[in-house]
Amino acid sequence: MLSGIRVLDCCEEPGFLAGKILAELGADVVKLEPPGGDAWGRRGPYLGDVEDPNRSLRWLALNTSKRGITLDLDQGRGQQLFRRLAARADVVLESFAPGHMDDRGIGWDALSAELPRLVYCALTPFGRSGPWAGFRARDLVVVALGGNAFVTGDPDRPPVHCTLPTAYLHAGPEVATGVALALWQRAESGAGQLLDVSLQEIQLSTLMTGPGLYARSGVLPRRSGARLGRTREIWRARDGDVSFGLRGGPARVPGLRALVAWMAEEGTAPDWLRDYDWEAYNHHTLSDAEIARLEQAFGDFFAARTRRELYGQALARRIMLAPCNDAREILSQPQLRHRGFFTRVEYPELGASLEHPGSFARSDRGAIGIRRRAPRVGEHNAEIYAEIGIGAAELLDLRAKGVV
Amino acid sequence: MEPPGLCRGIRILELGAGAAGPLATRYFADQGATVVRIESSRRPDFLRLIHLRPGDPHGLDGSPMFVLMNPNKKSIRIDMSKPGGVALARRLIGWADVVSENFSPGVMARWGLDAGTLRAEFPGLVIVQSCLFGQTGPERAYPGFGGQGSAIAGFNHLTGWPDRAAVGPHGTITDSLSARYVALLIAAALLERRRTGEGQTIDVSQIETGVYSLSECMLRYAANAEVMVRRGNASEDAAPHGIYPCRGEDRWIAIACFSDLEWRRLVRALGDPGRLRAPRFSTLAGRLSAREELERELSEETRPRDAFELMRLLQAAGIEAGVAQSYEDLLADPQLAHRGHFQVLRHRHLGELRFERQAIRPSACPPRLEAPGPDLGEHTREILEDLLGLDPGETAELERREILV
Repeated sequence: MLSGIRVLDCCEEPGFLAGKILAELGADVVKLEPPGGDAWGRRGPYLGDVEDPNRSLRWLALNTSKRGITLDLDQGRGQQLFRRLAARADVVLESFAPGHMDDRGIGWDALSAELPRLVYCALTPFGRSGPWAGFRARDLVVVALGGNAFVTGDPDRPPVHCTLPTAYLHAGPEVATGVALALWQRAESGAGQLLDVSLQEIQLSTLMTGPGLYARSGVLPRRSGARLGRTREIWRARDGDVSFGLRGGPARVPGLRALVAWMAEEGTAPDWLRDYDWEAYNHHTLSDAEIARLEQAFGDFFAARTRRELYGQALARRIMLAPCNDAREILSQPQLRHRGFFTRVEYPELGASLEHPGSFARSDRGAIGIRRRAPRVGEHNAEIYAEIGIGAAELLDLRAKGVV
Repeated sequence: MEPPGLCRGIRILELGAGAAGPLATRYFADQGATVVRIESSRRPDFLRLIHLRPGDPHGLDGSPMFVLMNPNKKSIRIDMSKPGGVALARRLIGWADVVSENFSPGVMARWGLDAGTLRAEFPGLVIVQSCLFGQTGPERAYPGFGGQGSAIAGFNHLTGWPDRAAVGPHGTITDSLSARYVALLIAAALLERRRTGEGQTIDVSQIETGVYSLSECMLRYAANAEVMVRRGNASEDAAPHGIYPCRGEDRWIAIACFSDLEWRRLVRALGDPGRLRAPRFSTLAGRLSAREELERELSEETRPRDAFELMRLLQAAGIEAGVAQSYEDLLADPQLAHRGHFQVLRHRHLGELRFERQAIRPSACPPRLEAPGPDLGEHTREILEDLLGLDPGETAELERREILV
């Protein structure tokens, strides 16, 4: 969908996913790293636990479909080359601290003066200006200041974040959306623009208008652990956790009824539950004792069954219950397998062949998804520098001086 | 002169309910596109019912969550259970550049509005269908909500404490995450149409967008058979890396030190307390292996301090630190205020509400909030007469046939 669009991707880890998504929509994405590679972005764990920047699993997962070059942006000659690379790009993506690129003469102000059609996206923790713009933050601190941590976790423990950096995962498609919209606008107006994107602000939309609801109600939500408000959402099955909402409403009542019907068939539904009036059920107005009684009955039923058994019946009977899957279970998840969601990527240099999540969508007009494995350090230097007119001899010289 | 908006001229027709669909089209509505929602009082969007109590005076027009989530959009009432309603919807589809729907698979087809039929009639149309599990496959009819999507996609398993239940990130993450992908796909498909003149049909599984985003977790399993688990706030790369108590009720600060330099800065900024000067804490490897003890000792240092003062102190010393902000804190956050994140709009039933602006700030086209989420059918007449060009007699006929309900 984005074929013909050239992206110069200088992002560190917060922007890895954004460039990957654009590349998997068909854009030509060139990943720029410092000479020797992005040491932090290429950290472990490594394939086969062999320490090697070209085996970093984080890198391999999040930089597929890009070509890769190295360039030292701290050297004057590196900055000159960067300007030439930017001149042939439609989009520059970067995730450095505010001012980092400007200090090197290759930020938005400098580039846009020469390249009026350029779309320049700066992804920063808090935005390019403002009282906290200079604050340092990776995922944990962004998720804390963004409000999600305060309401995630158990009430008797500290706030918590996801083990993988959701701040960056949300930022991936958010940044890509901004880029695509700016390209649309450029097609109308002929002019590029700067996209100033804040990781903190991206976090706020995960709260589903929570702050605005709080401003009106005055009721401050707090961590509720396995519950969602008053009712339980995460339950123990025999072999792990399942998600099942005990809330009411027209969409949920059929599933609650179907669950009770199954329990009755198995002889485990007490009389009061078999005759339960789900039409009148309202989890907001039930007494605590009534909620406890329901939770006991459902909880005992779930605890005696495996997640596989529960999910099988959930599918057959249309019950809103799902297993809390781990990676192994996701890789063999029947629906995902049926849809061909996973793509096998070959790593001949590493003697490996690995299944990756292949795509975030399907279109009837052509493939969206992985086009090539992630680049090795400097893998496409010769090819891409040749595209801006740098021959083999000059490249050798640049290499000798540590520019590439 | 008013700034143009990134999306001026784009016409989007939205069908569906809940959060995932409406969040996606907001990117366009806030940037000058015309976004029309087809709704009906016969089967209202459940967001119009959420948080409502019996006897609420404003009924379907009084749900703050719906109003906050759907600003700048237009609403038309159409009863899709009547053939005349479907015929009217088809005319709106002819008007639209994009149809964005998030029903369960098969709902549109039952109205005769399946993607194949629509694309045959309108070859330039972009159709984006977003649902939990996608339009194909044996589990496509699975009836879960975002909470179940988060569980299936792996987010719950990765969030929480290792000795406790898999809680998942607050808010149904597959709703907020997949909406970003849907917005992207709409924009990318429009770009392709501009180039080729062709529309397309796009099938988005909200669960797949989640698993794709968790590619690292999946590759770690595929490569090394590592099954990643939730580990609270512990990091493989940093110690301390956690959220620590501060003075007051439910006050917390996140602190992360990825290097020994940052650790030394932290100890100095806290006044060189003896309990943090133990030799085993002086290297990252030492701190990682003595993590529990480190957590305890550091908590003793943070507990008597004010969270915001401590954050400013540590940030000034070059340490990653941030308050775990509550919703109340967010409303008073000076950085969000600087960016104009919250903007007050007056709703005719609910009064002043704090709406949120998009995180993407294009320099020439700041996102705009002009109108709260619409009343059900607020724009029915305007849409019929201004967008479709019906005359008042035709509108009256539709009313007489009880299609506009």
